[in-house]
Amino acid sequence: MKQKIKPKVAFFDLAGCEGDQLQIANLEEKILDLLNLVEVVSFREVMKEHSDDYDIAFIEGSATNDHAEERLKEIRKNADIVVAIGACATIGGVNSIRNKQNHEEVGERVYGDNAELSELYISWEKAKPVDAVIKVDYKIHGCPIDRDEFLHVVESLVVGRVPNIPDYPVCVECKLNENVCAFEREEFCVGPVTRAGCDACCVNEGTRCWGCRGLIDNPNEEAHMEVLEEYGLTPEDVMKEFDLYFTWQKEARENE
Amino acid sequence: MKIIKKDDLDSFVDYLIGSDPREVVGVKERGSKYAFDKLKSSKELRLDYDVTILPPKKYLLPQRETLLKFKSNDKIKTEPVNEVNGRIIVGVHPYDLIAIEQMDRIFSEEPEDPNYLKKREATVLIGVNMKNTSERCFAGSMKTAFTQDGYDLMLTDLGGKYAVEIGTEKGKELLKKSGVALADAGEEDKKMIEEKKRSLTFESKINFEPSDLPELMKSNYDNDKFWEENADNCYSCGTCNLVCPTCYCFDVKDLMEVTLKEGSRIRQWDGCLLEHFAEVAGGENFREERAQRYRHRYMRKGLYLHNRFEDIACVGCGRCSSQCVPDIADPAEIFNKLKEGKI
Repeated sequence: MKQKIKPKVAFFDLAGCEGDQLQIANLEEKILDLLNLVEVVSFREVMKEHSDDYDIAFIEGSATNDHAEERLKEIRKNADIVVAIGACATIGGVNSIRNKQNHEEVGERVYGDNAELSELYISWEKAKPVDAVIKVDYKIHGCPIDRDEFLHVVESLVVGRVPNIPDYPVCVECKLNENVCAFEREEFCVGPVTRAGCDACCVNEGTRCWGCRGLIDNPNEEAHMEVLEEYGLTPEDVMKEFDLYFTWQKEARENE
Repeated sequence: MKIIKKDDLDSFVDYLIGSDPREVVGVKERGSKYAFDKLKSSKELRLDYDVTILPPKKYLLPQRETLLKFKSNDKIKTEPVNEVNGRIIVGVHPYDLIAIEQMDRIFSEEPEDPNYLKKREATVLIGVNMKNTSERCFAGSMKTAFTQDGYDLMLTDLGGKYAVEIGTEKGKELLKKSGVALADAGEEDKKMIEEKKRSLTFESKINFEPSDLPELMKSNYDNDKFWEENADNCYSCGTCNLVCPTCYCFDVKDLMEVTLKEGSRIRQWDGCLLEHFAEVAGGENFREERAQRYRHRYMRKGLYLHNRFEDIACVGCGRCSSQCVPDIADPAEIFNKLKEGKI
């Protein structure tokens, strides 16, 4: 194949831990293959240079204030394709846990008595995923993202096809790996309503699914709440199971 | 029929592990459950298991399998892939042997599936009659608790010793080559086997002849209320499909390496309970509703595959039933309710 003009790629981060960009920086030797496909014009974690001339924007983190909104609108204007990466950007992630809590108390918990005065806590009452502010073309889920899935998405976008992102529950991958079901180990799991694509990595390691890839498009939440209660959780505990990663999605579904 | 002492059976398995070039797999503990896995020693083998998480079909139709590799430098070059490893599988229950026989018929249909058939050819099946049954197993009433064929060797635990039935030349050769000590089975042994078979009990059963299933399913296709009620708590997670010994559907994908110079075509287990299973190009989904997908599985098991192969494609292993988290996938319960005209 003859080398064509490479698409220009830029990375941006909002409220988040930058763990997803770290996953990309950690691609190690594969990063060279990646650089054969695309030209990186902005990536704060690994380079100093920056340019506003890019085709594909990868955005990590949640939008939490007006400044983030301005930046997102600017990015959307510059980019042909916008990809949200990581749970904070795709589903609001752990940032959204606070969405159901008292905004002032959250501020005090983090910044102490002077929270109101702190410029650091200029924040919306709700942390939002990127697609609550601008149109997002693709989402790479997870906390953190899966490196291979990131490569798959880049490769798909470069050759011009729709990336293959599963829309079935984690149970599928868990069964393929022949794990003992978390429920059989007297644990609770949100795998039955969570989007697969992680190869059930947490359950493979003997723990459970926490839901970091978010709800599948059409989850049977009612059934899962019933199951969790049957397995001994109180309704409050059940809600907590759903709050770690699903707060934003649940609220969005309720308002549909 | 032959008799082998328990210690000699262990030596036979250890001989296979140490000397046979093929991989030896058998039933081992996995947490509180059991799974077929590679054996390092006969000590790991649990012939008293009730049921494994996945059926042994995973060795014939692997969960994920490469079918083709391609390179696209100047010209596109393709190369078919079929990773066949000779394998001896120890401890297959009769219902799983019957399921494999069904899979053999399915994958031998034109066009033949060489990826399955070559693996099948390179496999030796050492069966074992059930000593313990899982809570949801209803093989007794499905007539799949015992089998006369489908194995190379068949073991029955007689306490301190095993009866060995030789099913094929392949099995006979395996015993002969190992030089393991065998005695001829006497009348007492044969009586003991019959006694063991008679005393095997199942906590679950269907209350009618399995041969009635095709007609029962046919007459309930339009029983919408029944399917909707029973599918209400379905996650559409496909667990019932994935753990089933007779489910064989797969999805095929082309994956490109990030170099864009090579890639592979893979197949991975799929399941008709998954929401996008029946979705086609353009986005149309022929079974959009949970209830439609739920009904489809029972139709496959009781009617559709019977129409094509005359097999009842449920062997009563109980895996779907015991592994369904909301507990809505028990075929014995569903079949009985349909027969009794209940919801």
